[in-house]
Formats: sequence, structure tokens, C-alpha cells
Amino acid sequence: MSSEYLIRSLLMLFLALFSANASNWLYLAKLSSVGSISDEETCEKLRGLIQRQVQICKRNVEVMDAVRRGAQLAIDECQYQFRNRRWNCSTLESVPVFGKVVTQGTREAAFVYAISAASVAFAVTRACSSGELDKCGCDRNVHGVSPEGFQWSGCSDNIAYGVAFSQSFVDIRERSKGQSSNRALMNLHNNEAGRKAILNHMRVECKCHGVSGSCEVKTCWKAMPPFRKVGNVIKEKFDGATEVELRKVGTTKVLVPRNSQFKPHTDEDLVYLDPSPDFCEHDPRTPGIMGTAGRFCNKTSKAIDGCELMCCGRGFHTEEVEVVDRCSCKFHWCCYVKCKQCRKMVEMHTCR
Amino acid sequence: MAGAIIENMSTKKLVILGVILMLFQAFSFMVGGLIAPSPTAAVSYLATKCVDNEKTHHKNPKWFTPWGPDQCSKIKDFDEAMVKKIEANNIVFAIHIPPPNTEMSTWFQFLLLILHFDIAFKIQNQIADGASITIDVRLAYRDDKLSEWTQMAHSVEQRKLSCNFTAAKTIENEGRLYDCDLLPFMELGSVAHKYYLLNVRLPVNERKKVNIGIGEINDMRLVGIHQNGGFTKVWFAMKTFLTPSVLIIMIWYWKRITQMTRPPVLLEKVIFALGISMTFINIPVEWFSVGFDWTWMLLFGDIRQGIFYAMLLSFWIIFCGEHLMDQTERNRFSVYWKQVIPIVFGSFCLFIFDMCERGVQLKNPFYSIWASDVGTELAMAFIIVAGICACLYFLFLCFMVFQVFRNISGKRSCLPAMTKARRLHYEGLIFRFKFLMLVTLACAAMTVIFFIISQVSEGHWLWGGHTVQVNSAFFTGIYGMWNLYVFALMFLYAPSHKRYGDEQSSADQAGNSGEDTQLTTTITHVDGPTEIYKMTGKEAQE
Repeated sequence: MSSEYLIRSLLMLFLALFSANASNWLYLAKLSSVGSISDEETCEKLRGLIQRQVQICKRNVEVMDAVRRGAQLAIDECQYQFRNRRWNCSTLESVPVFGKVVTQGTREAAFVYAISAASVAFAVTRACSSGELDKCGCDRNVHGVSPEGFQWSGCSDNIAYGVAFSQSFVDIRERSKGQSSNRALMNLHNNEAGRKAILNHMRVECKCHGVSGSCEVKTCWKAMPPFRKVGNVIKEKFDGATEVELRKVGTTKVLVPRNSQFKPHTDEDLVYLDPSPDFCEHDPRTPGIMGTAGRFCNKTSKAIDGCELMCCGRGFHTEEVEVVDRCSCKFHWCCYVKCKQCRKMVEMHTCR
Repeated sequence: MAGAIIENMSTKKLVILGVILMLFQAFSFMVGGLIAPSPTAAVSYLATKCVDNEKTHHKNPKWFTPWGPDQCSKIKDFDEAMVKKIEANNIVFAIHIPPPNTEMSTWFQFLLLILHFDIAFKIQNQIADGASITIDVRLAYRDDKLSEWTQMAHSVEQRKLSCNFTAAKTIENEGRLYDCDLLPFMELGSVAHKYYLLNVRLPVNERKKVNIGIGEINDMRLVGIHQNGGFTKVWFAMKTFLTPSVLIIMIWYWKRITQMTRPPVLLEKVIFALGISMTFINIPVEWFSVGFDWTWMLLFGDIRQGIFYAMLLSFWIIFCGEHLMDQTERNRFSVYWKQVIPIVFGSFCLFIFDMCERGVQLKNPFYSIWASDVGTELAMAFIIVAGICACLYFLFLCFMVFQVFRNISGKRSCLPAMTKARRLHYEGLIFRFKFLMLVTLACAAMTVIFFIISQVSEGHWLWGGHTVQVNSAFFTGIYGMWNLYVFALMFLYAPSHKRYGDEQSSADQAGNSGEDTQLTTTITHVDGPTEIYKMTGKEAQE
């Protein structure tokens, strides 16, 4: 009896760990040593993928480089968007990349899921446009492709393929567990919200090319927004995220706002289940929470990047530092900068 | 002497004809909406950044392919180039058209490329005011995947960068992209080859200030636009069907005119000319472009359309003029010089403009008149002059229509007092004018409405499980409509053989020599009243 209980609890623990690490594939961004992911065997060696993701990897080896770039993009964008916050999206050299911050159902986790789902769609679509991938917009499996093919009616937009791939690769962890748990529902919702941040902000561009360049004939197409824009959109959604709880409606389980007076969230909004910790102190039990000691802060700001809030009231050091800055530079459009060095004294404030 | 067929046709026959034409009209909309795909397709490309390691890249052009076997050595982004100490002059942007696993086809008719740069904002490296970018571009083609690339064109082009930065220019916003206008890049008048390759360099020369102050370029994006193969096929089929139809009615019409004892009057000649210009558009010479590499087809199509529009506009003026009923001798083309000159001059301006743009593109596909300041001003001048001509023309036309209506109401009051033949003559004129006026307005309204719909809508509608391609329906429908318009015009306004009331008219003519000229110059003179005709007659009397 007790051994069965032990096994069962171990299994539960295992499952819990499993579900907790749903964004482990972001670890791909850290695998610069692997080089290019070019054959199926590499898929097996990649850390952070679950079995079904390995299968997708094997079936779409050529897409994996794009996925890895997407992971890097997600981390960079997260760090940019959170540069002034207490949790600044710092990564660890282990799985999961963001430590335990994303394993709880917090706002921060919601952001990470959304940005990573969006980044995969973005990176795959980009790879399509540069011709790295074979299928893309002309892939028959993507919705909206005409059966007659490229010669008859062209192909669909590559974004359809990018989003479809993101759905199959990123969502598979949650889907494989079934739709029951509230964490799975939350993650799926946030993944979709991230992709919507791209889809709903596609730019429509048009060109007139009729007789003498008139608009008698006009062709329009959709262009992806820059990823910084996507990041800004998701950050806005993060700031207005809705706290939700699981409720049963009929036979299906849905997430509804915890406070019934709030209006229900839309497809684009981020949702979270648990309130976030204050991220003030370094917590050895939850890796990823580094605390704000040693962080730079802004003395004059009253916002979260101000020393008051950033340092959680612990106070801050001020020291005068000489900064060597680049000035009166000469630039080329790429790869060439020639600058003079300017020195100036700057006051730096660091949290205690 | 005989009137036009429209006056002698019974109402029943007229209705039947109308229904048949409506059916064809609906059919031509459906062909475009249901069978054809959308008229054009846009494919977006992201340029691959290749590294040219050889120093002597000017003598023997080496081709850099972005993917596939023996692809170039690539870099992911320019930070990587910075680390590897690669210079801007050694970077080649490579674009392969079409995407992998597809082939271009002659059915695509034309290929248009739009250029767009992703330029990141850097506080120290901003885009200078009025910056222009110098592009060294080579275009090559091949027809199978393994053969060598053959150069098609090489050019060094200038394009103005018009970019603005919407966010505040602070250090916080570094890395955001500028909002740049799309640049016209290339236009090919025929797609004769299966694979195309573009190699683009942005040479930097600090001494000559070439490509200095253009910001930090992150990426080069291109959009390729071509006509869809499916649409081309449907379009050709339609043209092939329409050519003989209009041709036959044209021959029939001319035969009728030559059968008459009098020489053809101006209006009859103009209608015939309209038929010729319509046939000129219809003749599907584009079939040849499938087999031959005729790059001038795009320009030729523009010219054909231009001739038809000019002819149609002249026809409306002359038709109004010939129905003025003010007892002036017209029947000569020279009478209408005032109204026709704006048409001719306006079309000529557009022709020159088109020659400057698409004509030069035959030699250099990367040429764009909008790229230089002088060219832009010149092009604007042509377009503005053409616009003024169009306004002038419409003023003239509206004035003439107004005059006709004024004369009609004047004539109506004295209709009952006239002898039968004269009354019928005027009633015939009024009826013919009103009929054409109505049909023309309906056609013009249809064109405008569908144009607006196709501009506003997203390109296709879902309708009962079918996808309706609104843009294609617009093209085939409107094209079919103007064909039917010309067809109906030639049929209904052909001289009629029926002879009624001949005795009477000859009796009248003796006493009315003053208006004889009018009676002969316009096709008229009237005979068996039809029901509609009687109705309008009645209406005119009231």
C-alpha cells in the first residue's frame, strides 16, 4: 500500500515537474554550441524538448534553426521589455531558462508564454520569406491554400504557416496533457494571445499598377510588424492582464475573471492564475528570482525603475563613475563605426 | 430613308435583347468571381545576406544564391558581420524568385518588385534629411535548376529614402524601426524564365558621399507581384470569345451602312470607330506572350486601353452634339475640335508619361521615373495636365448634355403643332438620346460602384460555401460590360431597313427645306412607332 502510494506520489511529482517546464524549449536559444540543427539525430540531443516536440523536430528539421532564432528573439525581447522592472527576465544557464518564475501561473509566466509563441511564429515566417524552408505558404496543410497551386493562384501568406507551426510546436506540451488543468488552459490562452499580437497587427501594404500606374489594378499584401512592436503589444497586455480562475460551464472547463465585475478577457488579452511575488529578495528556493540588490535605478523616477520601488525600500548606493562614451561617430549602413572617445562623469545608483 | 433599329424595334424585342445582354453581363461577372483566382499575387521575400570574400568582384560577376545547392556563405545579421569584420561593400543581398519548390511561368505576364528597407533607429546614426540610397543591382535568370545563371540586367539606381520615426527620438527607442515608404524597384513586362536571381549591393564610398547617412539597415525586404496564371487563362479565354462577337456585329453594322444610298454620317462612322478600338483591345495578341519573350506587351496593353478610352470619350461628345436639335449643320469631325482637343491632349500626356516609365523599363527594368526629382516633377506635370484635360472634357460634356435637355424641353412644347413626320423625327431623336444616356449612366455607375467595392473589400467574399473573387469579378465584369455596351450600340444604332410613312415624309420635306439637313445628317427619320417609342412620345407631349 505504502509503496503504491510512493510510486503514485512520485508519478504526480514527475507530472508536476513536467507540466511546470512547458517553456523548456526556450533553452534552444542557449545551445549555440550545437551549431546548425541539420539532421534528425540532433533532435534527440536537444535539451528541453519533450518527446513529441522531438518528433516534430525530426519531421521538420529545416525549421528548427528558425525555432532556435525565435527562442533567442523571445529572450531578447523579454529582457528589453522588462529592463526597468524588478524581474528583468534574467536567464539561467539551466532548464528552465527563466528559472521557476515561469513555472507558476503568474503574470510574468503569461508574458513569457505569449512572447515565445509569437517569436516562433515570427521567426518561422521570416525564414519562409528568405527561402530557407520548403513548404511555407505553398504547403497544402495550411488553411487557405488553393488546391490548384502556385501557378494558378499563388500561395497563401507565409504568416499562416508560421502561426500553424507555432501552434503545433509550442502548444503541444499543453495539448498532450489534455485540456483539463487550469495551467494548461492558461498557457494555451496566452500562447494564442501572443500569436494574435502578430496577426492583429499585420500591416496591409498596397501598390497600384494599372494603366500608367493608376489604381485601376491594385495589389495588397500583409507585412509582419517589427518584433519590437509585437513585444510592445504583449507588454501592454501584460500590464492589463486579467486574473482568472477555472470554472465549469456545462461539460467544458473555461477560464473566467476572478472578479466578476471585470469584463471578460478577449482572445488577445493575457490571463494569469496566481499573483506574482514581489521579486525583491534573492530566493534560493526559486531559481530565477535574483532579487534587486545590485540593480541600477533611476533616482528621479517615481515609476518601477525609480530607486524607491526598485530597491524595495532598502535604499541605494550612489557613486560617481567615469563613463567612456562614443561620440562624433562615423557610420556606414553596416558593420563600420569610427568614433572618438568621450569621457564623462555619471552618477550611478545601485540598490543595496 | 430609315431610322435606327432601336426606334423600329418592338418593345418585346427590345426587352428580350436587354435580358440576353443582362445574362451575358451576369455571366461575365461570374466567370471572374467564381472561376478565376484573384487577379494578382504578391509574394514577400527577405533578402539573404551573403558575404563576398573575393576582392575582384567587379570583373566577372559571381552569382550569389540564397538557398539550394552551392548557396553563398551567409550571415544571420549585421552584428555577426561586425564581429567578423566584414565590410559593407562585401555584403551582397541575394533574392531568388520564386520561393523554393515553385517555378515562374509565362502565364504570369509581368513581374513587379517593390523594395523596402528595415532601418533601425540609432540615436547616433540617424537617417539624414533627404537621404537617397544607391543600389547596385544585377538580375539573372536560368531555366533549370542546375544550369548557370545568365545576366539579364545590371544597373546602379538611386532611390529616395522617405522614412519617418513615429516614436520619440530617445535612447530608449533605439532599435525601433523607421516607417519607410515602399520603393518601386523593378518591372518586367514578361516572365519568360523559370528562375530569377537578384544580387543587390549597397556600395559605400565616403569620398563621394555614396550611401552615407542612410541609417543602420537591418534587412532588405522585397515584394514580388505578378498576375495569377489562372486569371490570365480566364482573361485570355474571355478575350478570345469576345473578339469574334464584336467583330461579327461590326461587319454586319458596316454592311448595313454601305447598303444605304446615302454616304455614312459622322455618328455612324464614330460608332464604327468605337467598334474598331474595342476589337483592338479584344484581339488576344497576349497569347503570343506565352510563347515569345515580348516585354513590350505591358506597354502595348496600356496603349490599346488608352485608344479605347479616347474613342469612347469622343463618341459621347459627338453623340450629344449630333442630338442637339438646334438646326446647325454639324456632321463634320472638325466641328468638335474644341471638345476633342482635351481628350487628345490628355491621352497624349498619359502616353508620354507611360513611355517615360514603361517605355524606358523595356531597356532598364530598374528604371523608375519617380526616383529622381526632375522625373517626379515631370511625371506630376503630365498627370496634372491630363487631369485638367479630363476636367475640361467633363465640363464640355455636361454642358452639351444640358443643352440637349434644354432643347428637348423646348421641342416638346411645340411637338403637337408639327406635322407627323417631323414630330416622329424629333420624338425619335429624343428617344434615342434618352436611351443611350440611361444606358451610359448605368454602365458608368456600375463601373464606379464596382471599382469602389473592389478597392474597399478584402479581395474575396465567402458566399454560400463559394469564394467570390471580387477583384477578378470587377475586371471581367466591367470588361464584359463595355464590350456589351459597344455591341448593343452597334446593333441598336444601325440604320433600320423598315420603311414606313415614306410618302408622308417626302410630302413634308417639300415644305421644310430648312430642317432637311438635320433630318439627313442624323440617322433618323422615323417610321413605325414602337410602344416604348410611343410612350416617350406621349411623355414628350405631356
